[in-house]
Amino acid sequence: MGKKDSNVRMSLQTLRVLEAFLENPTVQLAGAEVHQRCGIASGTLYPILLRLESAGWFVSQWESVDPSIAGRPRRRLYRLTSTGLRRASEVFASFNRGVLA
Amino acid sequence: MSQRNERSTQPESEGVSQWLIHHAARRAPECLSSRLEEEWLADLESRSSALLRLRLALGCCWATMVIVNEYSRIRVPAASPVVAARGYIALADRNFGYFSLRSGTLFLILGLHAALFCGLITTFSHTRELATQPNLPNQVLNTVPIEMTALPGR
Repeated sequence: MGKKDSNVRMSLQTLRVLEAFLENPTVQLAGAEVHQRCGIASGTLYPILLRLESAGWFVSQWESVDPSIAGRPRRRLYRLTSTGLRRASEVFASFNRGVLA
Repeated sequence: MSQRNERSTQPESEGVSQWLIHHAARRAPECLSSRLEEEWLADLESRSSALLRLRLALGCCWATMVIVNEYSRIRVPAASPVVAARGYIALADRNFGYFSLRSGTLFLILGLHAALFCGLITTFSHTRELATQPNLPNQVLNTVPIEMTALPGR
């Protein structure tokens, strides 16, 4: 997990997070939106997001709003990287073949 | 508007949620602390009901425990663009405990079960002792004088 593109432990929750991003790989999602799509509790969701980011599957950035103008804190937006897209696709393809990655 | 009204009627729970998130973020690794706090507070703003907000805050506390446990053993990518320029941040020397989170949870559950079992055994034995005690107070009976009369025919 320490290295980029290292293997990520595939739990059911991790797969659900990846599935939410694979629906539209170019979209940027905040943690709250991932929660709405997957229904995963925050205690599980944020470690997964950080784990995938540290593995190089995701990149994240702050949304481009001024908190003082928006009246709320900035959201952190996550997006699949090309590596993450490839690896996630491989994982789901292996499931279709009946082989656990 | 309805969200604002609901929030204004429950300032205590909102304050508790924010305090929990602030507390959870402070316990996270330094490189992630400010990022997680802002990220979680933004998530908190998107939750409408007080119960959901409290649930999020409690989840953040759990997330911090998981993150600290994982990041104490590994190197993590930087949280902010400024820190990202420096590359990875080593947190391998941060050992937060003797046991892993999973082991700690297991010991906690085992301890609670043991305490519950001991409590039940103690209560049961005490109840049984009370139930088997004879409820007979010691009383000194007055001696009744017995008159010895001769039987007829003797």
